[in-house]
Amino acid sequence: MKKRGIGIGSTFYGTGYGNGFPDVSKAIVELSQEGEIVLYVGATEVGQGAKTILTQMAAEVLGVSVEDITLVCEDTSITPDAGTAAASRQTYNTGNAIKRACENLRDEMIKIAVKQLGLNSSIGVKVENKKVYLNIFPDKKVSFKEIANLQGEETLKTEGIFTAQTTKMDEETGQGAPYWPYTFSVYGVEVEVDTETGLVEITKAVCAQDVGKAINPKLIEGQIDGGFAMGLGYAIFEDLGLHNGEIKHNRFTNYLIPTALDVPDLDKIIIEAPETTAPYGAKGIGEPVMIAVAPAILNAIYNAVGVRITEIPITPERLLKAIKDNGKNKLEEGKI
Amino acid sequence: MEYKIVGHNILRVDGLAKVTGKATYPEDLYMEGMLYGKTLRSIKTHAYITVDTKEAEKIDGVIKIFTHKDIPHNYYGVLFKDHEVFCSKKVRRIGDPIAFVVAITEKIAEKAIKAITVEYDEIESVFDPVDAMKEDAPLIHDRSNILYHYKLRRGNIEEAFQQCSVIVENQYKTSMVDHAFLQPEAGLAYMEGDTVVVCAATQYPHFDQLEISEALNIPQEKVKIINPAVGGAFGGREDITLQIHLALATWVIGKPVKTVYSREESFVAHSKRHPMIMNYKTGADANGKLLAMEANIIGDTGAYASWAINIMRKAGVHATGPYEIPNVKVDSYAVYTNNPFAGAMRGFGAAQVPIAHEQQMDMLAEKLKIDPITFRLNNCFKLGSTTATGQVLEESVPLIQCIEAVRHKLNSKANDTEGV
Repeated sequence: MKKRGIGIGSTFYGTGYGNGFPDVSKAIVELSQEGEIVLYVGATEVGQGAKTILTQMAAEVLGVSVEDITLVCEDTSITPDAGTAAASRQTYNTGNAIKRACENLRDEMIKIAVKQLGLNSSIGVKVENKKVYLNIFPDKKVSFKEIANLQGEETLKTEGIFTAQTTKMDEETGQGAPYWPYTFSVYGVEVEVDTETGLVEITKAVCAQDVGKAINPKLIEGQIDGGFAMGLGYAIFEDLGLHNGEIKHNRFTNYLIPTALDVPDLDKIIIEAPETTAPYGAKGIGEPVMIAVAPAILNAIYNAVGVRITEIPITPERLLKAIKDNGKNKLEEGKI
Repeated sequence: MEYKIVGHNILRVDGLAKVTGKATYPEDLYMEGMLYGKTLRSIKTHAYITVDTKEAEKIDGVIKIFTHKDIPHNYYGVLFKDHEVFCSKKVRRIGDPIAFVVAITEKIAEKAIKAITVEYDEIESVFDPVDAMKEDAPLIHDRSNILYHYKLRRGNIEEAFQQCSVIVENQYKTSMVDHAFLQPEAGLAYMEGDTVVVCAATQYPHFDQLEISEALNIPQEKVKIINPAVGGAFGGREDITLQIHLALATWVIGKPVKTVYSREESFVAHSKRHPMIMNYKTGADANGKLLAMEANIIGDTGAYASWAINIMRKAGVHATGPYEIPNVKVDSYAVYTNNPFAGAMRGFGAAQVPIAHEQQMDMLAEKLKIDPITFRLNNCFKLGSTTATGQVLEESVPLIQCIEAVRHKLNSKANDTEGV
C-alpha cells in the first residue's frame, strides 16, 4: 500500500569559524593601467557561485557591469588570504572585504577626479559607466582610463579587510555569542511510502530559505536544489557500508546518491530580511540549504505510516522493520 | 532598496567554461617530462608497521619512494597536528598514507606499490565511540580518546522538567557519509625557480600553502598554490590529501609530479561526516511552551581530529534548534576511534542535531494535541530572542515568515492531493 504524509524541518545555522576565533577576509582591488577593474581575493570558487556574487558586489559599488571586472582567486602568490570556502562564510565575510576594498577604490578615484576636474569638493561626484563625473554637470568627467594614466607605472590599488564579530564561550557554561549571523531554513515535504517495499518517494517539497538579501536569486535556487538533493541522500540513500573500520561502498555503483529522478520539483521561496552587518544585507546559505531536509522527511514518514525512524539512513529494510514492529505493538495493545 | 546588479540573476562568470568543458581541473594538467606519484595506504585499522621499500626501489623506472624518513616535519592537520604525512610507527585507520612512489609512468608506480612490503603488527581496534570513551579502551593517540567536551548550561533543567506536562525522551543516530563530490582528488606540482608550485583543487589555498611550508620546513613564500577549477568540495577538500606528497616529491626530485586518485582511493583519502549518537529529553508545559531540554551528543571523529572540536561545538550550540528554551543542558563529545576520519561536511554538526530536535518537536506537539506548525510558531526564535548560549538575536530573524510560507504552500498542496 502507498501512503502519503507531510512533515517539516525547521533549523538555524550560525555562520563563520565562530567562538571568538579571528575570522578574517582580505581583498584587493586594482585599477589596471588599461583602466580595468581587477579583484584579487583568495576565496575559492567551489561551485557555490563565489566568483559571480563577489563580482556583482564589486560591480554595484563601482558602477560598472560584471563584464568589466576580472576576479582572480586561483593563485596564492598574488591573492590575499580570504579564509576558507566553508562555514557558509564567503558571502558574508569576503563579501564585506570586497565591498570595503571597492568603496576605498571608489573614494580614491573620486579624490583624484576632484583634483583633476578642479572641483571644490566630492559632493555630487558619481562613479558610473567607467567614469567619474559631477552629477549636476556631467561634462565634468574623467574616465577610469584617464585616472589610470595619471597613476603611471604604479597602479591604483586598495585593500578591504573584514573581521567577523563573535565571542569565545565560557568553558563551563557555554555562554557567549559563538556565531553571527544566523540563517534560518524551514523545509516541508510530502512523501509517499510504499509499505510493501519500504521505498520512500518525495512527491512535493517547499523550501523557505532566509537569505538576508539575495545577491543572485538564481544561484540561491541552485544552492537549494543541490542542498535538497544532499539532504535527501543523507536521509534515505547514503550508506558507506562501514564495517569494522572498512568502507565497503567506495564507488557510485554501491554508494548511492540521489539522481535528478529522485528529486521532485522544489517550490523555492526566498525570504529576505537584510542583516545590517552583511554586504547588502546578504547572509550565507551554502549549508543552511541542506540541513532542514532530512528532518522534514523523517516527520513526513511518521505522518504517512505512524512510525518514528530514529536512525538514518532510512533504508527500506529499516523502514519495513519499523512498520512491522509498529503493527505488532498495536496488535498486542489491542488497537487493531 | 533597488540595486543595479545586486539582486539580479547575473549569469555565472565561470559558467560558460564549465558547461563547454573548457574549465581546467587539476586532472587536466600535463607537463613535459612529468613523473607520476602513487600512494601506499594502510589496509589495517590499528597496527604497528615495518616498511621495506628495497625491492620496489629496484624496479626500472622508479625514481624515488618517499616515507616518513624523507619528510622534515612529519605532521599536519587543520586544528591539531595529529596526522602524519607518512605513518612512522603505527597506522590508525584503513587508508592512512605510508609511502609515496614516484615513477616515470603510472603503471610502474602501481607495480612498485605492490612490491613494497608492510608488516602489520596488529593491536586492538575500537570502532564504537561509546566503547572508545571507556577507561580501558585502546588508545588511538597518546592521549585520551575523548578529545573534546562542550558544555552548555542555562537555567535549571531538573526543576524545569518537574514543571513539564509533557516530556519526550529518545536516542537518535546519524551515519557516516561521504561528500560524493564529482571530481576525485588530483594534482600536479612543479618547480618555478626555487618555489614549489602545487596545483590542486582545495577549499583554502592559503592554508595549504602554510601546511606545505611547515611540513617541508621551507618559507611560506617558497610555496605557491594554484587552485584550478574545483569539482565540488562540501568540506571534503579542507583537510590536506595529496598536496604535501606532491610538494615533497617535486622539491626533492626537481621535476613535475602528477597524481590522480581513483574514486575508490578518494573515498578513503578525504574526511567523512561525523556520525552522532544523540540522547534527547525535551519538555513543555500544558500551554505548549518549551521549558527544558537536555542533550548528550557523542560524535565519532574516527582516527583523526580534523575539525571535530569545532563540529561538536557547533552541534552543541545548535542542539536546541531555533527555539526559545529557558532551561538547557547540553554535553557534546568528540571521540577518536579506528574508523575513517571525520571532518568538515556541509552542515558541520548543525546537520545532525535537527534529526533529533525536529522529531522531538513533532512528538511533543502530538502529545499536546497541537499541530506541529503552531507548536513551532509558539516557540521559535523571533526578533529579540535569546539563544541557549545567551546570544541576543537583534535583527534578520525571519523564521516565523519561513514557517508561515511553508504552512501556506504545504496546506494548499495537501488540499490539491486530496482532490486527486
